[in-house]
Amino acid sequence: MEPLGAGWFLVASGTDRWRIAVADSGDFRWVFCDGQVAEVAVAEAATSSRAPAGLPSRTRARGRSETGVMAPMPATVLALSAVVGQTVSHGDVVIVLEAMKMELPLKAPRDGVVKAIHCATGDLVQPGVNLMEFA
Amino acid sequence: MKRLLIANRGEIAVRIIRACKELGVETVAVYSDADRSAPHVAAADRAVRIGPPAPRESYLNVVRLIEAARETGADAVHPGYGFLSERAHFARACEAAGLVFVGPPPDAIERMGSKIGARQLMTAAGVPVVPGETPADQSDSAFAHAAERVGFPILVKPSAGGGGIGMKVVRGPEALPDAIAAARREAKAAFGDDTLYLERLVERPRHVEIQIFADAHGHVVHLFERECSVQRRHQKTIEESPCAALTPVLRARMGEAAVAAARAVGYRNAGTVEFLLEGEGDTARFFFLEMNTRLQVEHPVTECVTGIDLVRTQILVASGEPLPFVQADLSQRGHAIECRVYAEDPAQGFLPQAGPLLVYREPRGPGIRVDSGVVEGGEVSVHYDPMLAKVIVWAETRELARRRAIAALREFAILGIRTNISFMRRILDTPAFVNGTLDTGFLDREGAALASAQERPMPAAVLAAVKSYAVRIPAPPHSRTPASASPDPFTTLRGWRG
Repeated sequence: MEPLGAGWFLVASGTDRWRIAVADSGDFRWVFCDGQVAEVAVAEAATSSRAPAGLPSRTRARGRSETGVMAPMPATVLALSAVVGQTVSHGDVVIVLEAMKMELPLKAPRDGVVKAIHCATGDLVQPGVNLMEFA
Repeated sequence: MKRLLIANRGEIAVRIIRACKELGVETVAVYSDADRSAPHVAAADRAVRIGPPAPRESYLNVVRLIEAARETGADAVHPGYGFLSERAHFARACEAAGLVFVGPPPDAIERMGSKIGARQLMTAAGVPVVPGETPADQSDSAFAHAAERVGFPILVKPSAGGGGIGMKVVRGPEALPDAIAAARREAKAAFGDDTLYLERLVERPRHVEIQIFADAHGHVVHLFERECSVQRRHQKTIEESPCAALTPVLRARMGEAAVAAARAVGYRNAGTVEFLLEGEGDTARFFFLEMNTRLQVEHPVTECVTGIDLVRTQILVASGEPLPFVQADLSQRGHAIECRVYAEDPAQGFLPQAGPLLVYREPRGPGIRVDSGVVEGGEVSVHYDPMLAKVIVWAETRELARRRAIAALREFAILGIRTNISFMRRILDTPAFVNGTLDTGFLDREGAALASAQERPMPAAVLAAVKSYAVRIPAPPHSRTPASASPDPFTTLRGWRG
């Protein structure tokens, strides 16, 4: 893989040639090749040989964990459909978020009881923060 | 007109600024805190901060927008599309402040904004609407007579209803009594009111809209049609002109109806009359859906086939000049297709994506136009519409335009967030799109399968090379603009991968 400048690279295999665009983002690498985009996990050795020059490595935002629910992206809390102490079942919608004019329902990750709620209707919430905890 | 304030953001603000530069009109951009270093701000001659990121505190803040116009000595306002473009009170506020509103008169916006009012107005103007009635006498025999007037197939709906409850499709008079009885029971149970409404069912309709233009001197023309049947939950994805289903006779009839609609409300400037089209050929039927009293997202396909710059014409007409063309000057040449590039992940139920544009390279080439409001290194913010760009292609025939669109999409490199680009390529390759046999239900039926379809794998040599390349590849240097170094919390997010 040979850099062509400005994020473009040339890959050669026999007489085949591909011009691809690549950008690193944390623990994976975005690749563009002939209209397709892939997110390729990169071996630790491949990227740690140099101090990161670009964007800092980030923990991936997750929509939910075993003990709580998190926003998949920055969003506004549209509705809370559970209260502290309420028993919920796996898959129940407990919070409805709104982002980019779309509603995003968040579901309970398992059966349990709502232990704590860390957001209110109208709040702007960030990914990676527990919005509701389950016991 | 000397100085125009653009009360919008993104690609449409950039598009309007371009037209102003050609006309020698100075431009004023407005921006929220999320858009401080957005392309539309950099493109304008002046820029004014109007508030925090939330639209209601910035791009929807009428008082602040009028203030910004005053502060910068603007004498006119272009609302773009979305935001305040179809709010009559904004048009009035502009006029009251002595600003020229680049759009229709406020009362035309108001009259077309009311569904029931617009329907009555259109009926009076002889524009066909979807036939329907609520018989005052709700007896079986009254329904039978009403059904004859409305025409089969019929949709029986509870007047109080919604959500499809109690709705029945009736294909002929013999099935009507049973359907009425069932709908009454369900309406009574669900809404406590068993009043029913009959409406003609439009089967597998196409969404075909007519672009119109009117000036202040009594001239009204149409600029032919756009076919917008490729839509997902009423969000248009791919638009084209001409529509494969229109014959010259039908096109002329729809054009005349759209002009009549515009005249009926005393319209001025650019507008779009949307119709549902049923059937094909000279005998196809069309029904008024609504009028969009603004410039449309998909206006470029009309610009491509007519050769008319609609935004420039908007500014001329708003300045009081007569339309620079008459109906006989206008014709359609070739075929244009627009693909809307959205920051969304089709594989995850079209979840909108926000994050950094690490690589953003637009396609170029003969017959390819890209209208966009983002740049490499910029951020796609969570606050606004996820549309990044529009790829508009033009070619001699529909098939050539379709192939050109696919080729252009294959060249469009976006890294850092997921987009609908390959989803659109798959749409363009479906038999329905190839044959032009589209209807508004097309994506609702086939979209899910297209969204989850497996792409052909990336060449193994490419993947192997990418995996083993041991040097960290930062985003290109010009990507690291002050915008991505700002403390704005939105710069630290990326699309959800859960």
